[in-house]
Amino acid sequence: MELIGLANYAIFMGILIGIYALLALGLNIQWGLTGLFNAGIAGFFAVGAYTSAILTSPHVVGRVGGFDLPIVVGWAGAIVFAGLIAWPIGKVCLRFRSDYLAIATIGVAEIIRLVIKSEDWLTGSSRGITAIPRPFGELDYVASQLAYLGLVIAAVAVVYFLVERQLKSPWGRMMRAIRDNEAAAAAMGKRIEARRLQAFMFGAAVMGLAGALFVHFNRSITPEAIDPMIATFLIWIMLILGGSGNNRGAILGAIVIWVVWSVSEMLTDRLPTDVALQAKYIRIFVVGLTLQLVLRFRPEGILPEERTRRTAR
Amino acid sequence: MKLKTTAGLIGSILGATLLAATPAQAQNVKIGLLGGITGPIAAMAPPMLAASQLAVAHVNEQGGIGNGGKLEVVVGDCGCNPQNATDAATKAVNIDRVIGLVGPACSGAVLAAANSVAVPAGVLLITPSGTSPQITTINDKDLVFRTVPSDDYQGRALARTLKARGTSKVAVAFLNNDYGKGLAEAFKAEFESNGGTIAGYSGHEAGKASYRSDLAELAKAGADTLVIFDYGDGTGLVIMRQALENNFFKNFVGADGMKSDAVIRELGAENLTTFFASAPVGEASTSLESFGKAFAAAGQSPDAIFTTTSYDAAFLMALAIEKAGGDKTKLAESLRAVSSAPGEPIMVGEWAKAKQLIAEGKDIDYKGAAGDHEFDKNGDVPGTYAFFKVSGDTYESLGEMK
Repeated sequence: MELIGLANYAIFMGILIGIYALLALGLNIQWGLTGLFNAGIAGFFAVGAYTSAILTSPHVVGRVGGFDLPIVVGWAGAIVFAGLIAWPIGKVCLRFRSDYLAIATIGVAEIIRLVIKSEDWLTGSSRGITAIPRPFGELDYVASQLAYLGLVIAAVAVVYFLVERQLKSPWGRMMRAIRDNEAAAAAMGKRIEARRLQAFMFGAAVMGLAGALFVHFNRSITPEAIDPMIATFLIWIMLILGGSGNNRGAILGAIVIWVVWSVSEMLTDRLPTDVALQAKYIRIFVVGLTLQLVLRFRPEGILPEERTRRTAR
Repeated sequence: MKLKTTAGLIGSILGATLLAATPAQAQNVKIGLLGGITGPIAAMAPPMLAASQLAVAHVNEQGGIGNGGKLEVVVGDCGCNPQNATDAATKAVNIDRVIGLVGPACSGAVLAAANSVAVPAGVLLITPSGTSPQITTINDKDLVFRTVPSDDYQGRALARTLKARGTSKVAVAFLNNDYGKGLAEAFKAEFESNGGTIAGYSGHEAGKASYRSDLAELAKAGADTLVIFDYGDGTGLVIMRQALENNFFKNFVGADGMKSDAVIRELGAENLTTFFASAPVGEASTSLESFGKAFAAAGQSPDAIFTTTSYDAAFLMALAIEKAGGDKTKLAESLRAVSSAPGEPIMVGEWAKAKQLIAEGKDIDYKGAAGDHEFDKNGDVPGTYAFFKVSGDTYESLGEMK
């Protein structure tokens, strides 16, 4: 009995880690690969989540949508729409460099969050959207979770494979050239603006997919899920910790942070109740401390970016 | 991948030591308390958890569960968001093997935890503070209940009461979350359909330093009564202070979130002669009184929001477990049996009496601190509300709201 419970818990963790790994991979395309400081991950996550929710949920009076479409359509819609919404945002914001871009994207994510919180007709505002279908949702508890884990792993694998391919292709080398020395890349005749916009949209589309996966797992979405703390900064921590520029690092970062977060609670729960309550705050502290330690002793992350030496020579 | 297996290993070692550490005792039963310990309602969480734990203490002091077993509590943090809530619920259900969950505390967290954990796993869930009307609609196989009424009821009752007291023009400021917005919408609909005028209506975000511009905007249309749907130990307090300082409004009305000791403590009773608030109350007021005494004796303030519902949720969970004989599959059915009329009334803290009656096979009807908890078919309670004014350093009831 206990083992089934543990296994089931591990399955659940796997699903959440997979979803966050996708977010980290999306961010890796933008930051690790292209050097775009996107601090508005929550915004694209939200766009993907709500797009899929609106497309696949049953009709409700007073809200647009309720198209009751197949889940696959919802996921495709989430990818496409999150990518598309990144276009105007990128057009406006990508003229900024580094910190300025971060501020602009935080602003955009907040705008998206406030729109979601206020527009009843579109998103159900603070009450959110419910009754969203889950693939294999009619199975038993364990079987349903296992099947969903399979879907998430497949999604992560496909995205990982595609991004890896891209990274090793001429496109990837070009992006790194733009990141590391923009002037030189421009002198080589590369269209910097367009390329950066491309990477921004790709990353956003991956984040949108993560949002869709999240929404169907919980069968509901409310604005509480897109709080910047848990949908933006946590992902930054994952990527920096795992190693930006390295896709395996992005995935590893997601694993480490969730394990630190969740497993540490299992340890602290063995303490007396008063202490255990305070320890819940310490979990946040531990995540921050982990980041500090990595930045101090291993600034390139656990798995640093792989430099292809041949080209350097 | 390697790391994942290591994590699994650590997990199984933990589980194994846990097993070894608890040798076979009389059947202890575990329930999970999922509070909003971190996150936006962190200030409200400790009293809520203390209230639930008071109920557990009452159970264990007066004979425990079944044949000498104890009710054990696993505290989890729902963080007021779906990510942490599902994590905490999954852990409670799978690792700690709880048979019921009290919480999570926030509506979005309840929706996620119910949909992806409690309902698939067949675990009874009672939330003491998830007020969103969406919770009513969860396809829950009769496993999701709440001891707090849906916002719809209170907002409407407050609107009728205000109208009956002769107020016909108000401005409404609400916190833009499911709690504030739900109340505001219900209030607006009912107030307008009774012929009242909403002269200003706006939502605000929590945690800003100044709400003076919002207040100026609300006051523009000339209403002298401000209805605030917010928390009295948070943004609601700031809004009220700034409205008083700048003389934007004369009268103030709040819902249960505003009926907080912090408001009186911070603003002073002498400034609050025109402040009124509604809050759910139990019909059997002796229950509320005995809860107040017991909770104060435990060093807590019984007026803190959602403490009565937290107590009732945990106590009802215990009654249901006792009635079902610890059988997880019968919990929901038993919960309905112990909470609804007819039956011998059970008040707050009367565990020994309830236990005996259940053992004798008699029907009982729990009348809690927050209300009678006659669940409807969706697991909702209608709720009874009273209208309060400030008197000294506490609140005094002006009678029930119709």
